[in-house]
Amino acid sequence: MATPKVPEVRDIMRIERIGAHSHIRGLGLDDALEPRQVSQGMVGQLASRRAAGVILEMIKDGHIAGRAVLIAGQPGTGKTAIAMGIAQSLGADTPFTALAGSEIFSLEMSKTEALSQAFRKAIGVRIKEETEIIEGEVVEIQIDRPATGTGAKVGKLTLKTTEMETIYDLGNKMIDSLSKEKVQAGDVITIDKATGKISKLGRSFTRARDYDAMGAQTQFVQCPEGELQKRKEVVHTVSLHEIDVINSRTQGFLALFSGDTGEIKSEVREQINAKVCEWREEGKAEIIPGVLFIDEVHMLDMECFSFLNRALESDLSPVLIMATNRGITRIRGTNYQSPHGIPIDLLDRLLIIATSPYTEKETRQILKIRCEEEDVELSEEAHTVLTRIGMETSLRYAIQLISTAGLVCRKRKGTEVQVEDIKRVYSLFLDEARSSQYMKEYQDSFLFNETQTATMDTS
Amino acid sequence: MDTVSQRVLEYLIEVEDAAEDVLTTKHQIVDLDSKRNRNREALNALRTEISDSEKVKVCFGNMFIKFPKSKTREMIQKDQDQLEKEINDLRKGLKAKVNHLNEIQGKPELQGYNLSPLTTDEIKAMTSLFNK
Repeated sequence: MATPKVPEVRDIMRIERIGAHSHIRGLGLDDALEPRQVSQGMVGQLASRRAAGVILEMIKDGHIAGRAVLIAGQPGTGKTAIAMGIAQSLGADTPFTALAGSEIFSLEMSKTEALSQAFRKAIGVRIKEETEIIEGEVVEIQIDRPATGTGAKVGKLTLKTTEMETIYDLGNKMIDSLSKEKVQAGDVITIDKATGKISKLGRSFTRARDYDAMGAQTQFVQCPEGELQKRKEVVHTVSLHEIDVINSRTQGFLALFSGDTGEIKSEVREQINAKVCEWREEGKAEIIPGVLFIDEVHMLDMECFSFLNRALESDLSPVLIMATNRGITRIRGTNYQSPHGIPIDLLDRLLIIATSPYTEKETRQILKIRCEEEDVELSEEAHTVLTRIGMETSLRYAIQLISTAGLVCRKRKGTEVQVEDIKRVYSLFLDEARSSQYMKEYQDSFLFNETQTATMDTS
Repeated sequence: MDTVSQRVLEYLIEVEDAAEDVLTTKHQIVDLDSKRNRNREALNALRTEISDSEKVKVCFGNMFIKFPKSKTREMIQKDQDQLEKEINDLRKGLKAKVNHLNEIQGKPELQGYNLSPLTTDEIKAMTSLFNK
């Protein structure tokens, strides 16, 4: 029996600007991993989506770690879209780190350090925290102080849940922490059994009308259900990099937020690897190999590639997904030519997914999805014109025209973008081909023109 | 049509059964916990409110029996230990049952809950990560 299709739920919490790939919500595959023509923001590219789907399933099952995938194709054929689709369908629990090839060239740290941090960000460690707590609503709290003022105080605390009610005898220490937390009847509190730490969750709804004047920050909660003495289990997923950071410096976890983590000593990493492996042996931790996505991978140089080669072989290694739009080209930092600008020995380890240019129908479909995403209404003729532009220039250029044409349309107080609007923005903004044409015509009037060498390069 | 609806019905019955099972276990835990708390109250009362020589009245079913204090405490303590054990067992079983329910409902399995917990020291070292 096929399980009913779960409706696509969009995360409301995350407020995103409309990015180039904000319409992608998954790979658009059905249960049998067959790609649908148009689904979850994905259009066409059936073969590559299917391939990505197979890899996705293997990642989910944890079958492949330390493998690498290369998505190769011409510019504007949806390489990043496929990677985004994989990221979206992995779910929140599997770490996904995206990185552009040029990001590793920073002055703050060495290239290999940046890469190994990215690698470790893509590996998750799942651990469990278990605490015995007493959780209930305070019915009554009664404290007897000795008349002399000194000596032990005694007290009783009555707690209830929806099912039961009980009385606790209080010792001196408990009374102190209760008064420090200013616990009164009607509060919902939890007491950690091991440490005796009391935390106030809020006031019970049933006592909401006891006082009219209350601080704005007073939170109202339901009276807890079930047993009083509960066992709370929380599963956390943290990345290896985060563990590195809190252990690498005295400055502690604040480094996580400032972004300046600096270099992490390799001894620290080794210690943490050892600790995590020990936890895994003891059944205390699970390791989740995530995904590291390196876009524009041809920007990496020879050193980085050899580092990748080695890093993929370590036992704590994520799935590496790379994307490139280069054909046979020079490997950065050398004079050697190689397919995709990647050395042959690394290329040999990769599963390669190719993307092919979109057909006219697919282009039309993508433009339609983008229009919905950017809240622009397009008339039928304008849509056809835009598709034509997309086919003749590039898909990216056509997508750029959507929002600009939308603005022009709003300026003339229209509701729907017409062919005239498209024509206007088409004349206002040059596409790549027209711009090059213009350059060639007027090269003499520009500064520093080196047309001779420039034409050599582009050809 | 008939075989299909039959199958659907069987499936639904299976799901409902599993759900019922989870609920009963939860309820059992609540009952045991309330018993545990009552025992705890009794132990506290025995410790603080009654002198050692006195005998105490213990309620068995619908009958009160006078019992020496030390003997009573021993009895309740034993009962308490038994309860702790039962609650633990039930909680362990509950996880398996919830996972089974999720499985037949086609929901993803809860992951990580069968790990053994970190010790308090280890947790303390990691808390800064959890509270972000």
